[in-house]
Amino acid sequence: MGITATVPGKVHITLKVNGEEMEVSFAPYKTLLEVLREDLGLTGTKHGCELGECGACAVLVDGAPLLSCLTLAIECEGRAIETIEGLANGPELHPLQEAFADLGGSQCGYCTPGAIMTAKALLDNEPEPSSQRIKEAMAGNLCRCTGYQQIVESVEKAAGCCRHAERVKA
Amino acid sequence: MLMTNLNVVGKRVLRQDAYEKVVGGKGFPVNFSLPGMLHGKMLRSPYPHARILRIDTSRAEQLPGVKAVMTPKDVPQIPFNPIFFMPAGSMGIHRDMLILSDTVRFAGQPVAAVAATTVAIAEQALQLIDVEYEELLAVFDPEEAMKEGAPEIHVGVKNNIRDTPSFSAGDVEAGFKDADYIFEGTYETQRVHTCYMEPRVCVSDTDSNGHITIYSSIGHLFGLRERMAYVLGLPVSKVTAVQAPYVGGSFGSKIDFAYIEALSALLSAKTRKPVRFEHTRYEDFICNARHPMKVHLKTGIKKDGTFTARYASTLCDTSAYSTHGPEVILVHAYFGLMLGYRSPHMKWEGTVVFTNNMPGGAFRGYGAPQAAFAVESQIDEICDKLGFDPIEFRLKNTPRQGDPHPFNPEWKLNSYALDECLNKGAERMGWSQRAKTGSASGAKKRGIGMAAHPLWVSGCVGFPDIYEHSGAIIRLNVDGTAYLSSATMDIGSGQNTTLCQIAAEELGLAFDSVRMAPGNTDNLPFDAPTHASRVTYSSGNAVKVAAADAKKNLLEVAATVMEANVADLEVRDGMITVKGSPAQAMSVADVVKRAESPFMVIGAQGPAPTTLKEKGTIMGISSVAPPANASPAVAEFVEVEVDTETGQVKVLRAVYAHDLGRVVNPAAAEGQVEGGLQQGIGFALMEKMLFDPETGACLTSDFLDYKMPTAVEMPSKIECIFIESNEPTGPFGAKSLAEACLIVPAPAIANAIYNAIGVRIRSLPITPEKILAALGKL
Ligand code: FES
Ligand code: FES
Repeated sequence: MGITATVPGKVHITLKVNGEEMEVSFAPYKTLLEVLREDLGLTGTKHGCELGECGACAVLVDGAPLLSCLTLAIECEGRAIETIEGLANGPELHPLQEAFADLGGSQCGYCTPGAIMTAKALLDNEPEPSSQRIKEAMAGNLCRCTGYQQIVESVEKAAGCCRHAERVKA
Repeated sequence: MLMTNLNVVGKRVLRQDAYEKVVGGKGFPVNFSLPGMLHGKMLRSPYPHARILRIDTSRAEQLPGVKAVMTPKDVPQIPFNPIFFMPAGSMGIHRDMLILSDTVRFAGQPVAAVAATTVAIAEQALQLIDVEYEELLAVFDPEEAMKEGAPEIHVGVKNNIRDTPSFSAGDVEAGFKDADYIFEGTYETQRVHTCYMEPRVCVSDTDSNGHITIYSSIGHLFGLRERMAYVLGLPVSKVTAVQAPYVGGSFGSKIDFAYIEALSALLSAKTRKPVRFEHTRYEDFICNARHPMKVHLKTGIKKDGTFTARYASTLCDTSAYSTHGPEVILVHAYFGLMLGYRSPHMKWEGTVVFTNNMPGGAFRGYGAPQAAFAVESQIDEICDKLGFDPIEFRLKNTPRQGDPHPFNPEWKLNSYALDECLNKGAERMGWSQRAKTGSASGAKKRGIGMAAHPLWVSGCVGFPDIYEHSGAIIRLNVDGTAYLSSATMDIGSGQNTTLCQIAAEELGLAFDSVRMAPGNTDNLPFDAPTHASRVTYSSGNAVKVAAADAKKNLLEVAATVMEANVADLEVRDGMITVKGSPAQAMSVADVVKRAESPFMVIGAQGPAPTTLKEKGTIMGISSVAPPANASPAVAEFVEVEVDTETGQVKVLRAVYAHDLGRVVNPAAAEGQVEGGLQQGIGFALMEKMLFDPETGACLTSDFLDYKMPTAVEMPSKIECIFIESNEPTGPFGAKSLAEACLIVPAPAIANAIYNAIGVRIRSLPITPEKILAALGKL
């Protein structure tokens, strides 16, 4: 008996990433993390464990933060996926990105995309979180460089900017 | 005197990679790929100690998509030591590792490797490799490993004792006779992991001449090149290591060779395709970790609070291979245990032992956190027992500014402000209001503790056989900006930005006029690894020298163009002026343009021959080591709350005071302190690698089982006090910072816990179980 690969055939679906419909073929066991990084070339989303324990891979799916390493890509058909690449508007950064850069919320930067996406989900739902609330919301995002202080400060600063922007719009 | 008219150094500048990272960081090594790339995976031994009798790879080789399989017989059997900071052939290190070996010495050691077209196929191929092992008895406890009859881990190493270094000064026995009091205690620290967030990853590519190029997440470019060449039996010129613009953390771990770099090169050489390896988190966990140590201290004290004798012994589990063991124990002894506190009589004895545990590696602080936990805990015990003020006691027994350096009397402690660290830190924390030990009432008790580290390094100058020189290249552009090239790896703490600040300051350019231009080992001068808190001081010194060289060349051209004396010119903010007559000015851009232009100048009368003597690109280069090894000084104060019902400890507040000579970038410096505290709280309270006592398998190989502090475990405020003592041998007065931030937290926390509950715990981590047991509640 010859040895054969047990790799199954590919599925072909359309994913909606950062507002854009993207057709993609991939093996059905692939996680959203793998499809984003390997098949769609969106390498902004990172991975620190692929076990759902570090938060580096967090993206938003229908507005909720989701660990892309634990999510099958086929389950995301028809849902709105947001990644770090979708946050800036051309050269104009999202207030969270500005704040993380300005305040040192990003040192090695590896945990940063997951941290920013998690923070975005928080601020989208709770525009005025206390610092304790920010810490709790970010507790699933491990960072080994910053000690979290500058991350929490970045989220606080961004919250202020977001509220300001809302007021200006109103 | 501290230079105060600086334009760029000392400013809170934005890291140069900050915007790149917040949009997703394309430059991480984990993102690197090449067309036609294969994916490598390693098969790892389930046994901690075994001989391989037979490996059958035939079924794996038949799997479609598998391009190459390697077993011990396919790889060069050249023994190596993975440490990058010492030469590969150094007499000072033991070479006892192989890329793939017939003998397994720890659970998880690779025994074979596969390259396939996809990761999934490579993983499937591993399942098809048949290995027949002869299991050998294993030993995991270093004390057991030294006993007669314990399994022999390396042939000919009697009782598994790798090394027994020692030193002594004076006569400790006489010193103990002089003592009014003698204190003795044993302090234990555990195996902890650096937990960098970006996995170890590499891609090797072989060209048709057999030249290997490697892209990796490593923390030392030249070390990688040298070790690759050494283990593959190639000249170094056949290997190129490419610098990544940034790496997702190292904290020491990535200054060692791992198996993947050599295997990717061998598989690439065989298949003539690029081969990529990436560690899983489990593989990262068992790659290397901090050495567990057991320290015994015996200290003689006089009534006046001075030491009469200090004796210490250290047992270090160096793991299955020598790696850092023999080196880390020396740094631990000199710069951790002994030299920071004066005593007329001192003696230390170390034992470095092999076990069947996973390899030991470098981790921020390199032996000093283990030492500081012992020394600073015992000083707290002494002060508590004899009623000394812990700050005065430390000041009485530590060096002073101007003293000869205790490690090398040819150097001086030119800048040294431990006194300010202690006094300012104490004041900020409210030390004088500290409650008496154990006096807190209620179930939740608060306590304040402190620890110092009087002596540390700014690199490795003075250590035998350790690389320390650095080099840099500065090139000026026609738009008045400069490129800086340095082989220093920015592993996350922002060194590239710091180095650009130093270059900009020296060149007289604005900060954003200097950019780090990444390179590779073909076109960069050598630099030692990113370790030993060395980059600002040592690489920074090389950058300053290169910038001064470029500036000299710039001003020589400017003098010709401006018809002035070189000595009369100065450059600031991108403008060159004649001292005393500011109207006579020319921009750096215009001078560089003239130097770079063809051999003609266009004057009012049309083209005319140039009058410039110096033509061509204006550059500066350097390759130097600093003249000394400046010591920073540090003290940390923490307040904790201990829940005596649950045993939980919460760190409420931390004040960190550090004499770092000069702050180059305050934001980056604060980031070091805060990140160091996170690692320190982990070390003190929760982190510990656990292993199955039968199989040696790592039981804490993911972030659920290996618990490190999250945002909620951190204090709400971490206060930094930076003392600028202006070190004359450092660039613009700078010394070092990074490692000390992780050396002092654990003893400061342990001492605060003692202050809160009145019981002393002498082994880390101080878990709720240990606290409840110490309180008699378990
Ligand atoms: S990679 Fe998904 S949580 Fe770590
Ligand atoms: S910035 Fe390095 S892990 Fe968070």
